[in-house]
Amino acid sequence: MSKATTGSSRQVRPTTKNQSTKSATKRPPGGSPPGAAAKKRAAGGHATATAATKRPPASSRGGRQAQGSGTASGRRAPARASFRSRHPVLTALVPVGLVVAVIATMVLLKATGGSSPTASHPASSANTGATALPASVLASLSVPAATLDAVGSPASVVPPTTIGGSGAIMRGADGKPVVTYIGAEYCPYCAAERWALAVALSRFGTFSHLSGTHSASADVYPDTQTLSFYGSSYSSPYVDFQPVEEATNQQVGGTYENLQTPTSAQSALMSTYDAAGNIPFLDIGNRYVITGASYSPQVLQGLSRQQIAAQLSDPSSPVAQAIDGTANDITAAITNVTGSQPSSVANSPAIAAIAKKLGA
Amino acid sequence: MTMAVAATARATTHPRRVRTWAMAAALALSLAAVGIASYLTLTHYSDPAALACPDTGIVNCTLVTTSSWSVMLGIPVAVLGLVWAAVMTALTVPWAWRSGRPWVDRARLAASGAGAAMVLYLVYVELFRIGAICVWCTAMHVTAVCLFGVVLAARVPAPPGDLGPSPG
Repeated sequence: MSKATTGSSRQVRPTTKNQSTKSATKRPPGGSPPGAAAKKRAAGGHATATAATKRPPASSRGGRQAQGSGTASGRRAPARASFRSRHPVLTALVPVGLVVAVIATMVLLKATGGSSPTASHPASSANTGATALPASVLASLSVPAATLDAVGSPASVVPPTTIGGSGAIMRGADGKPVVTYIGAEYCPYCAAERWALAVALSRFGTFSHLSGTHSASADVYPDTQTLSFYGSSYSSPYVDFQPVEEATNQQVGGTYENLQTPTSAQSALMSTYDAAGNIPFLDIGNRYVITGASYSPQVLQGLSRQQIAAQLSDPSSPVAQAIDGTANDITAAITNVTGSQPSSVANSPAIAAIAKKLGA
Repeated sequence: MTMAVAATARATTHPRRVRTWAMAAALALSLAAVGIASYLTLTHYSDPAALACPDTGIVNCTLVTTSSWSVMLGIPVAVLGLVWAAVMTALTVPWAWRSGRPWVDRARLAASGAGAAMVLYLVYVELFRIGAICVWCTAMHVTAVCLFGVVLAARVPAPPGDLGPSPG
C-alpha cells in the first residue's frame, strides 16, 4: 500500500498503514543373559577379570554377534569391540565430531553472511542508503547520566500523553513491559524520534545491529540523518522493545518499498490511540503514547550522524536539548511501567521529576 | 585359590569396567558445568549486565542472557542449565558408575546427549537469532559437548588393567 510522500506540515506524519546398548552391564562378554552371567560368576566363570584376560575384550553386542557364529561378520565383531575397548576416545570422537561439525558449519555460515538479523536487512542492498553505524555513533547513544540530568525536560519538547492507569501494563511473553514503535525509514519525524528512543532505551538494555539511514530525499526535512531499527536486536532485563519499520526511504512505483507489517495487535493498538495513523507511533506499556515527533526535525538538518552523535553529550547544544530532552521523557515513562527499575535510572534527579509529572 | 575367589567377588560387584579417567573427567566436567550455570543463574536474577564478559563485536553476554531466547517455557535457560548440570553430577558420581543399574547408564547417556543437542540449538540461536555470543554460555557449551564425549568413551568397557575404583 502506498505511503504519503510529501505534504507534512506538522510534527506528525500522515500515512496509510500497510503497511546399551543394551547396557554392557546387562550381559557380560559372550552374551549370556544376566541370570546366567551371575551363575557363571558365582562359579568362577568368564565374567571375572581373570577370565577376561583370556578372551578378546568384547562389548555385549559384539559378544552376542560372535556367539556361536562362524560368519565373517561374527568374526569381525570381536575385532570391532576390541578396537573400541582399546580406543575409547576415538570411539567417542565420532558422535562428538558430528556435533562439532554442525557447530563449525553454523559458524562458517555466519561468517560468510548467512541468515542473520543484519544480513536480512536491506543495508546490504544498494538502493536503501542504509549503512552500518560507526562505533563512535553507537557509543554516543549511551549518553552520560549527568548530561541527561542537566538537560532535563525542555519546554520545547512535547511530552508523552498519559493514557491512564486503569488497565494492566502491556507485557510481552517474558513478562516485561512492551514498548511498541511503529515508523518508517522515509519519515523525517521518525528519523528525529528514533535518536531519542535509542538514547532512552540504551539506559535499559543493549542494541545490536542498528544501521544508519536517512529520511526520504523528496520529503520535508529531506535526508534527515538517523538510525534504523529494522534488522536490529535489543535485549533488556526490564523492557520488551518491539519496533516496526513499515517502509524504506526508497520509492518503487511511486510508493515506498515495504519493510515490515505491524501485527494485528500492534495495528489495533495504533487504531486505538492513533486513529489518524500518524507515525512515528510509540506506545509505552499501554500507559503512555507519543504520536509524531516530540521535537522538530529541523534541529537535525544539515548534520551528519557523527555530528549529531557528538552533540548528544553537550547539554547546551540544540541537538542535546531536543534528543536528550525527549529521551528523558521517554525514559521517565518507561520507569513508570517497569516499577522504577532499574533504580539507578529511576532515581536520577531528572527522571524522578519527570516521572512524577507524567503520573502513573 | 583365595586370590581367584577375591577376583571373582570383585568382578561380580563391578558390572561395568569403566575407566578411572573417564569417571574422574565426567565428574569434573559436571562440577564445572554446575559452577558455570550457577554463575549464569545468579547474574540472571541479580544483574545480567554484571556478567564478567567483554563487549567486543559479536561477543556480548548481556545481549544474549537478556534476550527473549534466554527464557524457555517461562524458565530461564540458565536455570535449565543448572538443573541439567546437577543431574549430570548425580549421574557421574562414583556411586552412579558402580550402581550397575541399567537405567542409570541410559539416563547418563540420554542426559549428556540432550545436553549436546541443546548446545546445537543454543549456538544456532546465538549466531542467527541474537547475533551475539556469550563467552560464559560458550564455556558451558564446550563443557557439555566434552561431557557427552566422555560419557560415550566411558561406555566402552575397559580392559582389566584399567578398572575403576573398587566399590565398597
